[in-house]
Amino acid sequence: MTNGSFILATIGILLGATGTYLLLPHRRGEAKPRTLYILGGTFAGLGLIGFLLLLTPPALSPLADFVAGSFFYIFAAGAIGAGVMTVTSRNPVYSALWFAGVVVSTAGLFLLADAQFLAAGSIIVYAGAIIVTFLFVIMLAQMEGKAVYDRAARSPGRAVFTCFLLLWSLAYCLATLPGAEPSDADSVVSARQRLRRGRELASFYPEGGPAQARIALERSLRPTSSLFVDGDPMKPKPNVAGLGEALYTDNLLAVELAGAILFAALIAAVVIANPRPMTALPASKSDA
Amino acid sequence: MTDPFSLELLTNYLLVSAALFALGMLGFIARRNLIVMFLSAEMMLQGVALSLVAFGRYHGNWSGQVFTIVILTVAACEASIAMALVVVLFNRRSSLDVTLWQDVREAGVAGTELADEEAEAAPLSTADGIETYPHLTPAGVEPAHPIQPWTERRR
Repeated sequence: MTNGSFILATIGILLGATGTYLLLPHRRGEAKPRTLYILGGTFAGLGLIGFLLLLTPPALSPLADFVAGSFFYIFAAGAIGAGVMTVTSRNPVYSALWFAGVVVSTAGLFLLADAQFLAAGSIIVYAGAIIVTFLFVIMLAQMEGKAVYDRAARSPGRAVFTCFLLLWSLAYCLATLPGAEPSDADSVVSARQRLRRGRELASFYPEGGPAQARIALERSLRPTSSLFVDGDPMKPKPNVAGLGEALYTDNLLAVELAGAILFAALIAAVVIANPRPMTALPASKSDA
Repeated sequence: MTDPFSLELLTNYLLVSAALFALGMLGFIARRNLIVMFLSAEMMLQGVALSLVAFGRYHGNWSGQVFTIVILTVAACEASIAMALVVVLFNRRSSLDVTLWQDVREAGVAGTELADEEAEAAPLSTADGIETYPHLTPAGVEPAHPIQPWTERRR
């Protein structure tokens, strides 16, 4: 990550902020001219391109890496662009549809990160949630026309400033991380060494440590917790089998807690959504 | 033997997830529709899940994916409870506007006066009438348009 590309990405984030502000609804719900929308769309597109330039391209020499890299760019651009459209759409139905686009792009990124089960699972779960949301929007909000609160935003200038400042500072932290090369290789631990991978801990720490450290290391590096067979990155485990093994051996308590949370949410939804029984019901019953 | 998922690729994933998180936060702050705010919160959850999966892939263990499954569970619970709350709130005020509920804010915080601003809100686009009449010689009073030029709700 060079300095110049980060300056370019900063310009891209500024352009994206301007474009998103132009695309957002007006504060008082006034209609914007069509040229403003075109200008905002152009700015947001340029900003997206500038932000994508911040990403490091993967090695392009073999065909597989090239295909994976181009798909990464497609899915990243799709996720961010659909996210902008989700936020700026006047019609909540279109917002829900663009959010489905965000979910599909995120599932593609999951696939590229070797999480096939999660890609399928998030599409299934979120598609169900989106359909439910869709039904609610149609039933509640879309009786006729668009409401005033859909055509008006709440202090859009300050909101855009806050959120894109957050995005810029996060990008700054991430961009300066790998480039922080040690001035003195012997004394200063470099950023790469501080970002030691979990499975490389055993080789990083010396063998002859205290017994407690070795026991903790063995517990944290169980064979069920690894993505690979024997820790070899060329031999990945089958996805669903490995994930199930990790879920039901190392993370059994988390599974139980997830089930308990689902049960509690079921009861809570029933209690909240059902109207409270009338207090005057016994009196009316006695009248009858 | 080297892992193809390098630190640069992890940084790419984290940048995309940061962008998703910031956009979801923007939607949660700036939009006034309860359902769109709920969708934006789900988008923030998507960004966090993406970064967790990338971290898990980088470190070579299943923890990120297991955590993402827990996030999926919490998101499903959140969806059910939020939809129940939206139904209750809509039944109270017959509107999905979140600024109608600003009287439940913390004491000492100034609220925004949006009632008079809504009165002067313009329609989304100055569309022509639903019916277009042929250009004839006017022979009397033009009949009243049965439908207003725009059918926007003011509630």
